[in-house]
Amino acid sequence: MDPRVALLKEFSSGFVSDKAKVESEQFGFAYLDRLLSGGGTLEYGFLADTRLLHKYKIVDLTGHRMDELLAMHVMKECNVCRYFSADKNDVLCFNMDDKYRKGDSAITEEMSMALDALSACLMGLGCEPLTVVSGRGYHVWLRLAEPLENKLLYNFMVQAAARALLPLLVAGRDHRAIRFRFYPDVAVNDALSLRLFGSEHANTRVFSHVRTPEALLDEDDSWHYFERFVRNKTTATATFRSALDELLSPTLNPLTQG
Amino acid sequence: MRVGLIPTITDPRTIAVDLDDTLNNFTETLQNGEFPYDAGDSLSEATFQQYLQRIRNGEPESDDLLSTGYNYCRFKIHLRCYQTARARPDGVEFMQWLKQNRWRVVICTKRDLRRANDCTKAWLKENDIPYDYLFMTANKIVFCKAWGIRHLIDDAPFSIVHGEQYDVRVYYPIMPAHASLPATNARGFQAFDDVKRWIQE
Repeated sequence: MDPRVALLKEFSSGFVSDKAKVESEQFGFAYLDRLLSGGGTLEYGFLADTRLLHKYKIVDLTGHRMDELLAMHVMKECNVCRYFSADKNDVLCFNMDDKYRKGDSAITEEMSMALDALSACLMGLGCEPLTVVSGRGYHVWLRLAEPLENKLLYNFMVQAAARALLPLLVAGRDHRAIRFRFYPDVAVNDALSLRLFGSEHANTRVFSHVRTPEALLDEDDSWHYFERFVRNKTTATATFRSALDELLSPTLNPLTQG
Repeated sequence: MRVGLIPTITDPRTIAVDLDDTLNNFTETLQNGEFPYDAGDSLSEATFQQYLQRIRNGEPESDDLLSTGYNYCRFKIHLRCYQTARARPDGVEFMQWLKQNRWRVVICTKRDLRRANDCTKAWLKENDIPYDYLFMTANKIVFCKAWGIRHLIDDAPFSIVHGEQYDVRVYYPIMPAHASLPATNARGFQAFDDVKRWIQE
């Protein structure tokens, strides 16, 4: 097995095991037959508004077929998006996107400010994130030592995101420029999927480079960083709970301040 | 990512069928249905009533933000319509005839299936409407062209106007909104029996 696939399997072991969304520029009934020939059922397909990008939500996948899809993912034959579990998860992700409709894929100053603040907040709480470039924003992942209730993860993300937007408010910038989506989302349990690391963005075709505080890593270094993240950067449950308590502390909580 | 090739041969026995205002009475449901105010939606009742009127008028979001309270409210109202709209009896009979005659049937809708998938599938099942695949797309003509689908049943003016240009035969239920469209080779119908006849020509 490709070691990158093994890493992705380890990272995504807590996701829904038999369901995935495949993003591909291939289409047609012959392609669909091939895609499903290894197992699985098409729940629905989706032709995106721009280009001939297709998305296929596939259910009833076997473990073997999921491995094959992950192999296609790392070979850039398609992108695999995984679904978070409905009750508990051992990963969470802040999906940061530019909220305004724009034609370009440039990272705005507001986005950089919010990302820096979020990273500093998480690091200060003892939770080391994996930050990955995604379109006009970032995916900021945390990996936990054990699955925790989605409500806890969601509360944690809401509080941390509020802190990430504070510098924009203080600087008189438009905090609405940043759209945060939280994975898992307690309001949308079984409907949202997120693209795994190691792929190219469907619209920009840019690899999901890892961003560290020091640099934007190239593809090889991104995979090495991802390996270190999966092996060594798991947040302990006690650390996470303590971080959540701190985020919810009334004296430090921007959501409860006037 | 690998790029697909547009098929050069179309499958004569594949058909794409729209849902809203084609197989059901979506607009009638939207205009005349009851949509009670829900205080849990974080909107005042006055704002909700204003939004409801805009939704009934078919107004798009005027803000340049991607996700807004209006968009969320519109989705919830539409979702209610998806659930409560009535299926056209002759449409149901037509879909069953397609299946019995071994047509490949693709339900092709503008609905956001990421959120409306479950209720769409439930509605199709409740109304005994068979199909092979479910796809969402804003541009059904491009979808049909890309997938080699020659026949499309759809009420959307865009499909009616542009189908001919892309060699997609479009059939549409005649509605007042279609009166002002330019002449094309798209064929309007009063009953699905007309379509049954045309697709076998």
